[in-house]
Amino acid sequence: MVELRGVRHRYDGRLVLNLDHFAVPAGALVAVVGHNGSGKSTLLRLLALLEAPTEGDVLWDGAPVPRRPPTTLRRRVTLVEQRPILFRGTVLENIGYGLRVRGIQGSQAYKRTAEVADQLGLLSLLDRRRHELSDGEVQRVAVARALAVRPDVLLLDEPASSADRAATGALYRALAAERAARPLAICIASHQLEDAYRWADDIRALAEGRLSPVTPENLFRVELPSGSGETKHARVGSIEIVVTTDRTGPVVLAVPPTDIFVSREPLPSSARNVLSGRVTRVATHRPGGAGGVAVTADVGVELVAIVTAEAARELALAPDAPVVFSFKASAVRVF
Amino acid sequence: MDFLAEGFRRALALLLSGDAEVFGIALLTLKIAVVATVVACGIGLPLGYFLATRRFWGRRAALTAVNTALAFPTVVVGLLVYGLLSRRGPLGGLGWLYTWQAIVIGDVLLALPIAAALSAAAVQGVDPRVRRTAETLGAGRWLTAWTVAREARFALVAVITVAFGQVVAEIGAAMMLGGNIRGSTRTLTTAVALSTSQGDFGLAVALGLLLIAIALIVNVTLQVLQGKGGG
Repeated sequence: MVELRGVRHRYDGRLVLNLDHFAVPAGALVAVVGHNGSGKSTLLRLLALLEAPTEGDVLWDGAPVPRRPPTTLRRRVTLVEQRPILFRGTVLENIGYGLRVRGIQGSQAYKRTAEVADQLGLLSLLDRRRHELSDGEVQRVAVARALAVRPDVLLLDEPASSADRAATGALYRALAAERAARPLAICIASHQLEDAYRWADDIRALAEGRLSPVTPENLFRVELPSGSGETKHARVGSIEIVVTTDRTGPVVLAVPPTDIFVSREPLPSSARNVLSGRVTRVATHRPGGAGGVAVTADVGVELVAIVTAEAARELALAPDAPVVFSFKASAVRVF
Repeated sequence: MDFLAEGFRRALALLLSGDAEVFGIALLTLKIAVVATVVACGIGLPLGYFLATRRFWGRRAALTAVNTALAFPTVVVGLLVYGLLSRRGPLGGLGWLYTWQAIVIGDVLLALPIAAALSAAAVQGVDPRVRRTAETLGAGRWLTAWTVAREARFALVAVITVAFGQVVAEIGAAMMLGGNIRGSTRTLTTAVALSTSQGDFGLAVALGLLLIAIALIVNVTLQVLQGKGGG
């Protein structure tokens, strides 16, 4: 449906996006994961036709989009920014904004507004104004406002960043309901892999403005054996990872890098996964300015652990140093 | 100080008696100020929006030019328009010199930079997400501009107020282009200057009070139009 081809996008001469090809097919559910500053928001603004790339083409249904896209084309895609802003006026007026600019008013507009407000649990907030809402509520109103106009492509930048768990659940349920009712492609940018794996069919990693060919940190597609026990052994490459789950069949395992204990020798502990190997890489500055030191080790598969700079120094973690990674079976997330 | 008190007494008597000449001058002043403000803001606000939101070659130079024009002395603008409208000038055929229309042209040229520069600053002060959000929700160019203007309405009403204040209190261009002709182009400011120079202090004070009253009424009206605000 919408795709970027040979796109190089610069801000003040600095290259922020460098993509040979990126597409959001009709009806697809795509997640773009990457740290803050990896280019996700810029990518979404290009897909939303709000900015034209410095170089390269944006194509819609295979046809190049002009640098000043016609309103009719822009109306087929809607972006919800990471920190959305509501206009002056009530929640009801905000949700109805896109309908009003399309000339849809009266009972037809109210019906659609109430429908999306209901989907997102906003019916009790319709008379509120922006200063009377929490950040999470603002985000849900922004999603409702975007869904109200029934776009072909919905772009969401970190949709769960200010929402609590219940609100996130309502958000994704509303998206699922909308997709069940009509064809809708959704592209979500998130720095939370868990989010991405839970909701998307297709996950792309973005780093430094480029699509990363490497699977995001510590994610493994595995086949979980059948059985009723609560711990299961999943084969990943040449090793086995013990997980606590009642799931069976094809799943994705994620080992959160901050949940891995790093030591020089195996330590007696409750961790069911104790994997020995050698350090392959130590990155003191993680992309996006996140704290800690990322230690990558080959323990039969490549795993990344995040430790403090102090721990990395004390353990003398350096390439080729022997290392043991330990983590509990319950720390492994299953999607 | 007696002459001051006497001046105020005279002013009160003139205002209460409903002196036709005084009110005629006041109405003409109001007409000129309103027409000049409407024209200056009608051109200046969209120009300010354009300068604030569009990226084009020479934009910075245009902004500098508009900001510099804020400091144009009124007599220089008066001189320029005088040159244009005088019989030998390029617009001499209009026959507008020493008419109220000539004063309007001078006032528009003085208020236009105010409207453009201050509205550009007002629009630049609006969160850029407002414009992007309006666009992504399908608003065309005009609706997007309207949405941004709504967010900046307090600042934009202030721009209109300042522009009106400039034209209603202006004297240099009014004197040069209108000629202070009794019953034709005499405005409150030129009349105050004339009365003072003739030693008719009471009339000058009365006209000055009327000028202040007009400014007050217009400002209150704009405040009311602006609404009570809220989110």
